[in-house]
Amino acid sequence: MTSLPAKQNKKLGLVIDLDICVGCHACAVNCKEWNTSGHSSPLHDIDPYGDDPTGVWFNRIHTFEVESEINGSKTVHFPKSCLHCSDAPCVTVCPTGASYKREEDGIVLVNPETCIGCKLCSWSCPYGAREYDEEAGIMKKCTLCVDKIYNENIPESDRVPACVSTCPAGARSFGDLGDENSDIFKLVEERNGYDLMPEQDCLPTNKYLPPREKNNQFKNDALNSITNDNDFSFDTWKEIIEDASK
Amino acid sequence: MIMIFLLILGKKLLKMHPSKSIIFFTVMSGTGYGIIICLSFLALIAEINFNYGFKLSLILISFLFITLGLLSSTLHLGHPERAWRSFSQWRSSWLSREGLAAVLTYIPLMLFYLLWFLEMDIFKYFLYSASILSVITIYCTGQMYASLKTVPAWNNVYVTPIYLINGLSIGSLSIYCLTRFYESEVQHLYQFTLLSLALCLMLKIIYWFHIRTKSTSSINTAIGLGKDNKVSFFEGPHTGKNFLTTEMINKIKKEKANFLRLCFIILSCVLPIYMIVQEATLIIDAFILKLSFFITLVFALIGMLIERYLFFIQAKHVVSLYYGENKV
Repeated sequence: MTSLPAKQNKKLGLVIDLDICVGCHACAVNCKEWNTSGHSSPLHDIDPYGDDPTGVWFNRIHTFEVESEINGSKTVHFPKSCLHCSDAPCVTVCPTGASYKREEDGIVLVNPETCIGCKLCSWSCPYGAREYDEEAGIMKKCTLCVDKIYNENIPESDRVPACVSTCPAGARSFGDLGDENSDIFKLVEERNGYDLMPEQDCLPTNKYLPPREKNNQFKNDALNSITNDNDFSFDTWKEIIEDASK
Repeated sequence: MIMIFLLILGKKLLKMHPSKSIIFFTVMSGTGYGIIICLSFLALIAEINFNYGFKLSLILISFLFITLGLLSSTLHLGHPERAWRSFSQWRSSWLSREGLAAVLTYIPLMLFYLLWFLEMDIFKYFLYSASILSVITIYCTGQMYASLKTVPAWNNVYVTPIYLINGLSIGSLSIYCLTRFYESEVQHLYQFTLLSLALCLMLKIIYWFHIRTKSTSSINTAIGLGKDNKVSFFEGPHTGKNFLTTEMINKIKKEKANFLRLCFIILSCVLPIYMIVQEATLIIDAFILKLSFFITLVFALIGMLIERYLFFIQAKHVVSLYYGENKV
């Protein structure tokens, strides 16, 4: 288990659409909800109702501002969980073999029985996907809801990771990214899905879809055609607005 | 004054985050291994048949340093009782290799101690093998950090040699201070100690210059939208801290870091070199001289702890790009 599997039959992973994500944090909450009673249970919280709460979360939503000449400024909500890398450094640095990547579907997991809690895997992960559970003394991480996606006790339509099934906007997709005929693979192709920090050479499985170009921009020409009739040119309007905002 | 300084430092050490057990371990074990490596160099070029008291203290000091260091390294583990499991993955993990090499070193080391004490000549072969294994152990420690692409300040060619030379310089300084204590002379030790101390200082300064350059990872590659856009951090996932921010995102003010760098240079390099070179001109009582060499060694060790602390706290992890840093 020390090394990565020589070949991967499947590459199960997530595709996150930054164009759709509204930053509601529902995926993070449902992730915690499912996993605190699943494979990695419990996900401990420390001082949950106190002044300085911390705890184990597998999924977190960061927010960035993205500015460009064409699109102006845009707020981008950025959910991030384990990317189940093909060349996962967290697996090879593990001294005990507790951290492993499954050959059958590429999911990276931690064996809670053999993890010694040395935290080296968290240092080797560029994405901050590893979480140390202080109460349990072991590392925990996103399991891609391995206990949900294969669970025959729940309806087939529910057999997707908790973050995917809960997303109210449909910003998250789940599937086999190693299969060129899968819908998810085609989606990545179509929308120019990309890897985070490719220079770290981890070959992440999860992909991110960039926000679409704005198509509802104010076009100077269009405005001019309206305003010309009323003796008010677009530039006059602009001046009035600029004066008012001073 | 010194006591107050040490007290303040001690308090900081108890609270700080780059794991103190790791800092203590790397410095202590490094010193112990350094003593063994230095002894094997001396044995190669000269006789090392010291008197019993000197031998015994060298044996005790190197053994205690190595062992206490290794024991303290298990303190930061979530499950120290499972530490034995870490010997299994030497094919891929530098941490596993380090643990294995550290344990293997004990075999020739204990035999060397015994045979050296009994004055049997074959002790040299065990000393040499213990020394080679010591080098391998420190090398593995260095490589463990140097192989982490996520920390650009560690992912370079200087880190492993620094670990080796730091151990060697403080190890040979320990032997040198002991020769002062037992008022004995060891051939070539003078030159060896000075050379390793000077190398230690030189390498560290080169390293500090090197880590000023920023890595290719930035907020743009971390978010992946930086090609035609200006990306800036807006808000984190929560207002409180989390495991990542406490474990990996530690900050130190530049002035404070520079002050600590100066402390290391003076305590671990300049002071020992001065004491060794200027010893003949110091007109002091023999007892005071012994005491001052003891203090020099303690200060040099404190300097090494400071250096290791800086090594950890000044190492920016790329995950900080998701928490407000633009570059690492």
